[in-house]
Amino acid sequence: MTSRCILQTTLLLYFSTMALAMSNDLLRSQLSSSSLECQELLLQLNGTTEYCLKDRINFEIPEEIEKSRQFQKEDIILITHEMFQKIFDIFRRNISRTGWNETTVENLLVKLHWQKEHLEIILEDVKEKENFTWDNRTLLHLKKYYLRIVQYLKAKEYSICAWTIVQAEICRNFFFLNILTDYLQN
Amino acid sequence: MVWNQNASLVRPQNLYLVVCISFVFGVSSAFPDLSDKFCTFKVTFRNFRLILSWELKNHSVVPDRYTLRYTVISRPDQVKIVEHCSNTTASSCDLTDVWEVLPETYSIRVDGFRGNTTLVQCSSYLFLVTHMSLEPPEFDIVGFTDHINVLVKFPPVIPKILGGGVLKFYLSLIIEEQSGNIVKKHNPELNENITGNFTYVIDKLLPNTNYCVSVYFKPRNLGAVHRSPVKCILLQPGQETESSESAKIGGIITMFVIAAVIVITIIILKRVGYICLRNHFPKVLNFYNFSTWVFPEMPPLETVAFVEVIHVNRKKKVWDYNYDDESDSNDDTATPQTNAGGYTMHGLVGRLLGPASASSATPEDCMEPDAEEPDPSEPDTDIDTEPLVPSGPSPGQSEGTSGAYECRGKQLQDPITEEDSWSTGGSGDKITFNVNLSSVFMRVLDDDLEVPPGLPSFPEETYNLQESHRLETSSLAANGEGTQPLFPTPSAECQWPEDVLSDESDSSESDVDIGDGYIMR
Repeated sequence: MTSRCILQTTLLLYFSTMALAMSNDLLRSQLSSSSLECQELLLQLNGTTEYCLKDRINFEIPEEIEKSRQFQKEDIILITHEMFQKIFDIFRRNISRTGWNETTVENLLVKLHWQKEHLEIILEDVKEKENFTWDNRTLLHLKKYYLRIVQYLKAKEYSICAWTIVQAEICRNFFFLNILTDYLQN
Repeated sequence: MVWNQNASLVRPQNLYLVVCISFVFGVSSAFPDLSDKFCTFKVTFRNFRLILSWELKNHSVVPDRYTLRYTVISRPDQVKIVEHCSNTTASSCDLTDVWEVLPETYSIRVDGFRGNTTLVQCSSYLFLVTHMSLEPPEFDIVGFTDHINVLVKFPPVIPKILGGGVLKFYLSLIIEEQSGNIVKKHNPELNENITGNFTYVIDKLLPNTNYCVSVYFKPRNLGAVHRSPVKCILLQPGQETESSESAKIGGIITMFVIAAVIVITIIILKRVGYICLRNHFPKVLNFYNFSTWVFPEMPPLETVAFVEVIHVNRKKKVWDYNYDDESDSNDDTATPQTNAGGYTMHGLVGRLLGPASASSATPEDCMEPDAEEPDPSEPDTDIDTEPLVPSGPSPGQSEGTSGAYECRGKQLQDPITEEDSWSTGGSGDKITFNVNLSSVFMRVLDDDLEVPPGLPSFPEETYNLQESHRLETSSLAANGEGTQPLFPTPSAECQWPEDVLSDESDSSESDVDIGDGYIMR
């Protein structure tokens, strides 16, 4: 009886480990695929012209994101969720003056929303874990960063040049997102 | 005035047209395909060098020199002139040491001059990650017997644009190995601090086989893949014995490993309880007695003797369900017949009783040793059962003992039908069969006697019921099917009162001389 329990426990641990490894790889590939698709949709929108150079601004993306610092798996999920959430909120704003294809924008919002929801589910499981300390500092920097973007759009009255500058900035966001998701593999 | 009115009408329309055209041109200039109305830009990563090239759409306009300017979008930096691409005659510019950030949107502008006249101005913007075309690196291959060394040429210093972990993330080196229709891809991991040439070994190849190798970079943004020209080589023929032996050994080891893994997995799953294996095979798969099937055992040799059994035809009596003692005793007891040889014969018991006939046996019936004449008026529907008994009560013989024979005789039915007609001494209706000597009475034939051979008789001495059981198993049974025990076991339905039994018999000896030359076994 004891040997049988030991065998069952061993099998359970083995397959759980395999399942966790497979789930990390699955999440990584899913996030990478989502960010690439969003990036492609973003680039389909009409971009900057030479006349918009005067509207450029440095939004100061957090250094830990730009330098691709290694995070724990739970922090990566939290950060990526925050990024998808904020990007979704930005592109829900007034884009009437851009002349962008509304179908392309709608597809972008759908993909952003789906990925955000998926990460929320995973995040709830992560929050139930005990003895885990979140990287609140990085999260605070991210919130301030996206607030600056929103305030810039409001200040420029959602002009086409402002949206073009924001479009270029969000393209960088997706690149750093891809680097972050790569750390889930390890 | 009319012209003025017409002019006033035309001007808004013209203005509207100009605005529309300007809007269209303004939008078209922002297309992300690096396509300007005058120029087409292209960014190429060739031999780890970042090359920006442009081409004028209007070939009739050919500037003699160009000047390249650029700036970034993420910061409000000044527009910069690329010094080594200023007043250049080439329609391309090496920006490896100029552009240092890969995830950046660059705004570029190229001015074409002829003399002091600006012939063309081309501007565009590009997000470098998605617009950079990765060309394959240069490589060489060296073939051996069973492996190929692929030498990929890397620069001594990696460009800054691929620094900071970007190289490992953004560039994925793929080495394709093709032999016939089989294509294998190898993805060697690139080190962050890689310098100089990079050597990768493709091993486990077949000697004396032609292999073709191709190398390319696979971009992270799943952009277009540019493969290098294929380089092919024929491997040297190796020693077949070594390779074949090693292949055989490897194959055998692999087979053993696979079988062991499968067996261990099944054992583990069985012990855990996930699968249940049958322990009891169907009867058809029971091969325990397989040898018996193939080589059936010969019947044990036994001493046999030929015995003649002479049947006595008896009329069948129908029991009228009358429990009267006289009628029962008269009905159930057969009249002994005397043959020419002086033996008293009764009908032999051939088979076991059925339920009906067994219930008819009572202790009172067992107590009646007297024989009776069969009633000729009664129809012979029942089979008569008559034991072999002595001709008459002998001195010292208890009634119960002889009655025991008779009673047991009642419990058994003679399977011989009434149709059978036998003569007591006739030779025409004789049955010859093999008899187990250990179950019959043996008598040495004497010339003076005229007794038919094989005709046993019961002992005149009395003995108890337990000893009679032995006699039962050794009595002859006459029927057409062979030998059968004459009497059933004492567990028959007829329960004997103990006072009927006699203890005068000698029951301790296995062989009892029952007189008249017969030996009881």
